[in-house]
Amino acid sequence: MTLMTMIVQATPNPAPVPGAGIFTSPFLLSLLIWIPVVIATAIAFMPNPRGRYDTLIKQIAFFTNLGMMAVLFIAYNQFENFLPTMQYEEKISWLPGIGVTYHLGIDGPGLLMLMLSGLIGIAAVLASLGVRERVRAYFSLLLLAQASVNGAIVARDMFVLVVFWGASVVPLALLIAGWGGPRRNAAAWRLIGYWGLGTAVLAVGVLALYAAAGAQSFDMDVLLKAQLSPRIQIVISLVMIVAAATRLPLFPFHGWIRDVLAEASPGVTIVVAGAASRLGAFLILRTVIAAEPAAGHLLSPLLAALAAMTVGYAGLAALRSIDVRHAASYLAMVPGGITILGLAAVSPLGIAGSVLSLFTGGLAAALIAGVCATLAERAQSRSVLVLSGLAPRMPNLAWLLTIAALALLGVPILSSYTAEVMTFFGAFKNQPIGAFAVAAGLAVSAVALAILLRRVLFGAPNPDAPGVSDSSLGETWYLGLLAGALLWVGLFPGGPKIPGTDVPLFDPGLLNQMGAGISDMSSPYTAPAPPAAQ
Amino acid sequence: MRYLVLLPEVLVVGLAVIVMVGGRLGWFRGAARAYLPHAAAVVVLIALGVELWAGATVSAHLGGALVQDRFSLFTKAAALLTAAVVLATTDWTAEDSLHLGLAMPPVAAFGVMVAASAGDMLGLWAGLEVAAAAAVVLVAVHRPDLGLRLLVAGGVASTLLLIGLAFVYATTGNSDLTAIRDVLTNRTPTIAMAVPVLLMLAGLAIRVGLAPFHVASLPVGFGATPLGASLVVGMAAVAAATVAIKLVSALLPIPDVYAPYAQVLAALAMVGGGAAALAVRSPRPRLAYLAVGQVGWVAAGLATHFRSGIGASLFLLGAFAIAATCGPALLGRAEGGEPAIAGLGALRPVRSAGLALAVLSLAGAPPLAGFFGELAVAAALAQSGNFVLLGLGLLGSVLSIAAAVGTLRVLYIQSPLEEARRGAAAALPAVTALSSVGAAAFCVVVAGYVLLGYPIMSLADQGAEALGLR
Repeated sequence: MTLMTMIVQATPNPAPVPGAGIFTSPFLLSLLIWIPVVIATAIAFMPNPRGRYDTLIKQIAFFTNLGMMAVLFIAYNQFENFLPTMQYEEKISWLPGIGVTYHLGIDGPGLLMLMLSGLIGIAAVLASLGVRERVRAYFSLLLLAQASVNGAIVARDMFVLVVFWGASVVPLALLIAGWGGPRRNAAAWRLIGYWGLGTAVLAVGVLALYAAAGAQSFDMDVLLKAQLSPRIQIVISLVMIVAAATRLPLFPFHGWIRDVLAEASPGVTIVVAGAASRLGAFLILRTVIAAEPAAGHLLSPLLAALAAMTVGYAGLAALRSIDVRHAASYLAMVPGGITILGLAAVSPLGIAGSVLSLFTGGLAAALIAGVCATLAERAQSRSVLVLSGLAPRMPNLAWLLTIAALALLGVPILSSYTAEVMTFFGAFKNQPIGAFAVAAGLAVSAVALAILLRRVLFGAPNPDAPGVSDSSLGETWYLGLLAGALLWVGLFPGGPKIPGTDVPLFDPGLLNQMGAGISDMSSPYTAPAPPAAQ
Repeated sequence: MRYLVLLPEVLVVGLAVIVMVGGRLGWFRGAARAYLPHAAAVVVLIALGVELWAGATVSAHLGGALVQDRFSLFTKAAALLTAAVVLATTDWTAEDSLHLGLAMPPVAAFGVMVAASAGDMLGLWAGLEVAAAAAVVLVAVHRPDLGLRLLVAGGVASTLLLIGLAFVYATTGNSDLTAIRDVLTNRTPTIAMAVPVLLMLAGLAIRVGLAPFHVASLPVGFGATPLGASLVVGMAAVAAATVAIKLVSALLPIPDVYAPYAQVLAALAMVGGGAAALAVRSPRPRLAYLAVGQVGWVAAGLATHFRSGIGASLFLLGAFAIAATCGPALLGRAEGGEPAIAGLGALRPVRSAGLALAVLSLAGAPPLAGFFGELAVAAALAQSGNFVLLGLGLLGSVLSIAAAVGTLRVLYIQSPLEEARRGAAAALPAVTALSSVGAAAFCVVVAGYVLLGYPIMSLADQGAEALGLR
């Protein structure tokens, strides 16, 4: 009942959280960016003769992430969800000659993305405990990648956004090239190609916006509120959509995802699938839907079409894939498509669903990619022709793979259900064809998942298959963390309450907190009436 | 007190003369010789301190032939800082001559300083030639054939430049840069003016190593010693870019005579440099091509012909100077190609970190100094509506970043060569206290360029303003 109430209300007027706004810090968001950078630098230069301090380095990386999560939890807990403005803002003039400010801030969607990034960060370190080679470099690069993702989330200056957006490419590419599977080099180059071009396209969009606004400032408060003609809005929005599509990815800009998610180590896979790629949808939310209302409205059919093609393609590609990691890579595209469908709805419910699906979709994509990566490692094979009947021999992974499949499909109890229901309810009104096509694609994905589960987990055991072992403690923990977060938000989208009251316990509820700041962007848009004919 | 502003020039020239004469006469032996690089770096740092302290006062000397303004302050400070860091980072075991190696970077810095504070065309030309001569000397010590090649290429460049300067002088009746701008204010652009400007830019393009003129000088850098390559790829190019900025500021009233050339050169350099960097695998050519790509961005800023664009070019030039000059020095010999630097991250961590930052900065990877400079130029291009050049530049940057990642992969991910297979061509750079401090200082400077972007960009903007730009 509570769940249904939450879904129907769709976050419009969350009650202020008691105790919010007590603690604040002028540099809370900077901590989330610069702590990992400082620790990464320290690790990089730490003496480590013959791998003597490998364990210590892993511990440092883990506790750094844990510390960041603690900071993040304070930010989450103290977030004032009734404020429509940015919170925890930091603003320092940086390059005044061209109007660049070091401006950070978050609203509800930003907070949600940060929570996702924090969880993924901890899971990524746990997933990487098995790394044995060049441990210093690995964890240093991993922390740098996390810092850049956090930076892109909290950036309130377009210049700063481009900096962090582009900065994530180098460490992630090196992580893939250095610690990936047999085709790691090709995967790394694909990532550089697609994400590099995406960064260049984003820079073009930002500079075009800068030129069109004529504002001498890169601040989002200035650029995204500039009054632009619909034609210019459309051009800039198209550029932003292309930049986002390379990152999320959306069909036909998805060329990197199969190789990258299939070749990267599990820790890197979940960072890419879970947090780094969600930035694509976050960009569209920020720069198209929230900032360019005319273009957002006019381009919504295009967004719906991209979403439908992405989900449909992902399902079909997964269906015909015989490599378990390839199949997982394709299936990890599905949540992105659903997020975009919600944005295409340009309605309060659809956008709220989209925002929530940034979080749930990131977790689901990370879970499916991570569990398949771990399963392939533990089963010593990636081929579904070889892997069969593994459920009795690896029960932990079997459970986790099942949860991942259910999370992708959005079954009740898991948070992806809440997000998908909101998205589809929002989209069926404004984009019925797109919503129907996405639903059809989701059905294909369900078939692909069912076939995958039947073959790999519940088929007849293959006597010729190499020996298998269940997930290690670290692997169970990282996958369990992702699955647990999906379950927690699914069970308590509004946060657990003191029985009999509306007073939240320690968690004010993701659905409440994410509502801050999206009321403006989700207000129904009315296209300007054409001038009356004389 | 009035002439204190000239003390930095006196210090660097004095240092170069003493080191050269002392080296020739055998003054430096034993411990004195071992600590000579330390002393040289300290003297250049003192010169930098004096420049920053006394150079803030605007003044003119020698009847206006030397002008101390914000532009010269910025450029001279960048040149001196670069010279100090490169002296500290150089692996002196890889150099053929210690005293020439110690003397030439200050001489090249002096050339840049003369060009930066030149009030007339003669000063510009003289500064450029002094900087280029320093590079020729160092290259010729190691490879006389390449030194000769560089000399001939430089001669052609100098000839083209002089012909152009002579035409400008004949047309305007002045060699003073301010007077030239005043005369040109009421002129309309003509073919007669465009041709000499084309020759001047071609001459400067040879000096800078802009595509397609890079074929003349760039291969010389591949065969030189690390410090020789530093001067060819870095300091000589900085001198030529400084001259280009000052000439462009004089020609500003008639931008149509140079802007199209600058745009074509910039486009070729940005895309060509990035593509060539991606195509080659050997680290030093890759570094050199990355530098070509970044100089293309400097040229793109000049093509915008207004203050924010040229201010951005100047800001980028500072980042370029430090990365392009110190990059080859940090790389060391590395004649054995990629395998020579494989796994250097584990063997020489500080030097590798410096090299990685240099490569990334030259490629324009965020969030380093080169990226900020390039994005500042990009903003100026966007403001001027030149989206074609902007798009080409960003394409070039993507190619450059891909190339830079390739080098980082070799540095940090590949396994080092076995010691038995590591010949002289792949010898590791020697580790000394000075080289480690130098590499660390380089990292600090690159990071500081970003963190102190506000005052640095303000100074660059004031520098553009000092050139008469509005």
